[in-house]
Amino acid sequence: MSSPRGPRSPHRPRAPRTRLRARAGAALGGLLLLLGASACATGEPAAAPTAVGGAASPDRIEALPGTPTPRLPVTVPSADGRQVTVDSVERIIPLSGSLAELVFSLGLGPHAVARDVSTTFEQAAQLPVITQAHEVSAEGVLSLRPTVVLADRSTGPAEAVQQIRAAGVPLIVVDDAKQLADIGARIDRVAAALGVPEAGVELKSRTEQQISEVRSGIPAAAQRPRVAFLYLRGSASVFLLGGPDSGAPSLIEAAGGEDAGTAAGLTGDFTPLTSEALVKAAPDAILVMSKGLDSVGGVDGLLDLAGVAQTPAGLDRRIVSVDDGRLLSYGPRTPQVLREIAAGLHRDGAR
Amino acid sequence: MTELLHADAVGCTVGGRPLLADVRLTVRRGEILALLGPNGAGKSTLLSVLAGDRRPTDGRVRLDGRPLAAYRPAELARLRALLPQHHEVSFPFAAGEVVRMGRAPWAGTPRAGEDEQAVARAMAATDCAHLAARPFTALSGGERARVALARILAQDTPLLLLDEPTAALDLRHQELVLRIARERAEAGRGVIVVLHDLTLAAAHADRIALLDAGRTVAVGPTGEVLDAALLSRVYRHPVEVLAHPHGGAPIVLPERPREAD
Amino acid sequence: MTTTVVKPEEASTGKTGKAVRDRRPLLLAALGIALLACALLAAGTGAYRIPLGDILASLAHRAHLGGHPLERVPESVLWNVRLPRVVLALLVGGALGCAGALMQGVFGNPLAEPAVIGVSSGGAVGAVACIVLGLDALGSWTVTAAAFASGLLTVGAVYAMSRSGGRTEVVTLLLTGVAVNAFCGALIGLLLFTADTAAISQVTFWQLGSLSQASWSKVLAVLPFAALGLAVAPRYARRLDLLALGERPARHLGVDVERMRIVLITVVALLTAAAVAVSGIIGFVGLVVPHLLRMLAGPGHRFLLPASAVGGALVLVAGDLAARTLAAPAELPLGVLTALIGSPFFFWLLRRTRRRQGGWA
Repeated sequence: MSSPRGPRSPHRPRAPRTRLRARAGAALGGLLLLLGASACATGEPAAAPTAVGGAASPDRIEALPGTPTPRLPVTVPSADGRQVTVDSVERIIPLSGSLAELVFSLGLGPHAVARDVSTTFEQAAQLPVITQAHEVSAEGVLSLRPTVVLADRSTGPAEAVQQIRAAGVPLIVVDDAKQLADIGARIDRVAAALGVPEAGVELKSRTEQQISEVRSGIPAAAQRPRVAFLYLRGSASVFLLGGPDSGAPSLIEAAGGEDAGTAAGLTGDFTPLTSEALVKAAPDAILVMSKGLDSVGGVDGLLDLAGVAQTPAGLDRRIVSVDDGRLLSYGPRTPQVLREIAAGLHRDGAR
Repeated sequence: MTELLHADAVGCTVGGRPLLADVRLTVRRGEILALLGPNGAGKSTLLSVLAGDRRPTDGRVRLDGRPLAAYRPAELARLRALLPQHHEVSFPFAAGEVVRMGRAPWAGTPRAGEDEQAVARAMAATDCAHLAARPFTALSGGERARVALARILAQDTPLLLLDEPTAALDLRHQELVLRIARERAEAGRGVIVVLHDLTLAAAHADRIALLDAGRTVAVGPTGEVLDAALLSRVYRHPVEVLAHPHGGAPIVLPERPREAD
Repeated sequence: MTTTVVKPEEASTGKTGKAVRDRRPLLLAALGIALLACALLAAGTGAYRIPLGDILASLAHRAHLGGHPLERVPESVLWNVRLPRVVLALLVGGALGCAGALMQGVFGNPLAEPAVIGVSSGGAVGAVACIVLGLDALGSWTVTAAAFASGLLTVGAVYAMSRSGGRTEVVTLLLTGVAVNAFCGALIGLLLFTADTAAISQVTFWQLGSLSQASWSKVLAVLPFAALGLAVAPRYARRLDLLALGERPARHLGVDVERMRIVLITVVALLTAAAVAVSGIIGFVGLVVPHLLRMLAGPGHRFLLPASAVGGALVLVAGDLAARTLAAPAELPLGVLTALIGSPFFFWLLRRTRRRQGGWA
């Protein structure tokens, strides 16, 4: 029995929403709707170094060598169906961490004048934050006199987006990348909007090459390890298991694994899971975000959660933790993320 | 008759306002003392002082020879019972269970064995045995009053304090209640009863304590206290005291303008 | 006095009264058996399949009655995941049911529940503060300990604030509780306002109530409080009956009302704070269970207190079984489930009582 779905809210990298998929019958419909609006995460500034799993890497952007010269004006399609003309990229505001990552990778970092809370890498650390609480403040954005604003589909509130546009500032909405295959298109769109398509091509090929390097280094295992992507927040509440729309399956598969949530028949992005169902899903490894892992007290705390210690992953302590700011922001830093996951999945023996 | 309760120069000041001052009265075993007085005279305050609810700020009250304050609540519960003016029970306890609650002070004493008998007798006496199984909350005002009285009787104490026990009752049951009070007195108990109906008091009380503005203005045999001049002054209304054609018991009537005569 | 002649036995217990009283031990036994059956069912049911025979074998083995241990994973699932959860549901349910019955008795009001004196919202403030401010002084026990401590503290504050001249009036207590609940709600709101989204989602799940993170150590943490409450409560059963007459009449029957109220409010606070600390906010059990039992077997507390504990345990064991199986592999929030089913049920009960009794009880 399929469950009623809550209104679709825009997806944001590293911002899992839960949609409880229940087989509980129509009587539970209201309950499910209630659950629909739940977990929504944004990262925080200054992410801690990776606790376990892949090699710790500094939270830095590797920009293309040299500064590209933009050819302007350009008119590009915005993902919300408009044509937007950009005259200048002197002052850029990317409204999400992954967009900021693209701007900096393309070599236009010096033109960025602000960041949102989910932009955590070192080069942007000095920029003012223009999100209030969890949402974009139009006034904050406009006060920095941007010449172009980049937004994700999940950027909100809609009023702020309208207000920015009403003030005459070109605002381009870029489709989210939810899997490896989307990375190229996203780089292209951002590069085009900023008038630096060549740099885009260069970044795209660099990224694709790095990804294929990582993939070629993955040992061909007879059996693909099953990986559960757990969204954890504190040991006092339930944990959520990622499903096909969590954003992680593409990475897990590329790293030579199989997504446990998808294999267990979950739909949607995240499902609050009974502990026994996790045991039944029998993941060989558990993928978590580092802040989530910290919030339950590290690997030992995670193994204390009901149902984790009983999984093969728990028995082997095969826990892969990736920095919150990078895990699901498909972009130029994804090859490194993939390398960390692969290293965690295919390490030999127990720790 | 032996002295049961004695109030000596009792005063009670609350928030700087004297509610009672220099109250002196005695209740003996075997008698009914009616506590009379106009509204606001301090009858309820006095009753709560005599029951041990409220500590007097002056003077002292002795019950059975000991100061009231020296008793533990459980001991006191075996010596005096009070029938309140209002009868509320939070949960739908059966009337029989409510009456049985009156036996609580005797739990664990040698007299706990008398529980069943005491409850049955009290309910029979107050004409509410047939109500035993009904929830108290579903009873009428008069029925509640009788069940509440039965509870007090079941408590089986030497001293009974009745706060306007006839207020909710019809004529038959008013007489019933005061007859019960008389029976108790004859069995050697002391009864204090607050009444508004002076004639009723005249008919049933042995003695009367008349209260005005927190002071006992008269304490004495019924015939002496029910004096027309005294009552007129205390109630601030002209009062006639007549003698009943049969037996001569006083009948107290307020004077009313009579134009027709 | 010869107006009516009534035999003593008829006078003390009418027909209906007797029937109700006879029904009580039977009902208590039935509740106990239902609880046992439900607990066994809960132990035998779960997303991870363990055949009943294996469960019995493992139980027997641990009890040194033969049987045999299971393989590593099923043995661990049974003993470290499922059983602690069933036992915790039992304890939390018992604590909530008993606390509810005590609360209604102390306040002489069938609508009183522990939340009235601020224990739940106070506990929530502690838990939310820990989550939002990222406190972890006691590791994974921080939220639990903070919820417990702040729940108790809040009740203490409510009681202290409503006391004057060595006495507390019930109405003052209730009104103070209302004000403190509102204040706690505002504090939670303020904390949420400053929280990041991840913390908000964690708070949301905590407030929905769940036993998903049950463990033997949580069972051991709740056990002393539940045991204390369940041991102390029946000693006050008779005095609670008397309190139904009102404070003054109860005092005239020898009850030290003020002292009893302090003791019982402390017991209620301990029971509820312990339950809230390990399970979040699980509503309606404390309100509905005693109410239902009172309707079935009368308001006498000697029956009501133990029966409410058993009934609460039954409801929560069954509720938790539903929470983890109805939507498997997903987990429904237990607190939401109990309130979702409890509220309409309660409404139906109210209508029915009102009609039957023709008045409030």
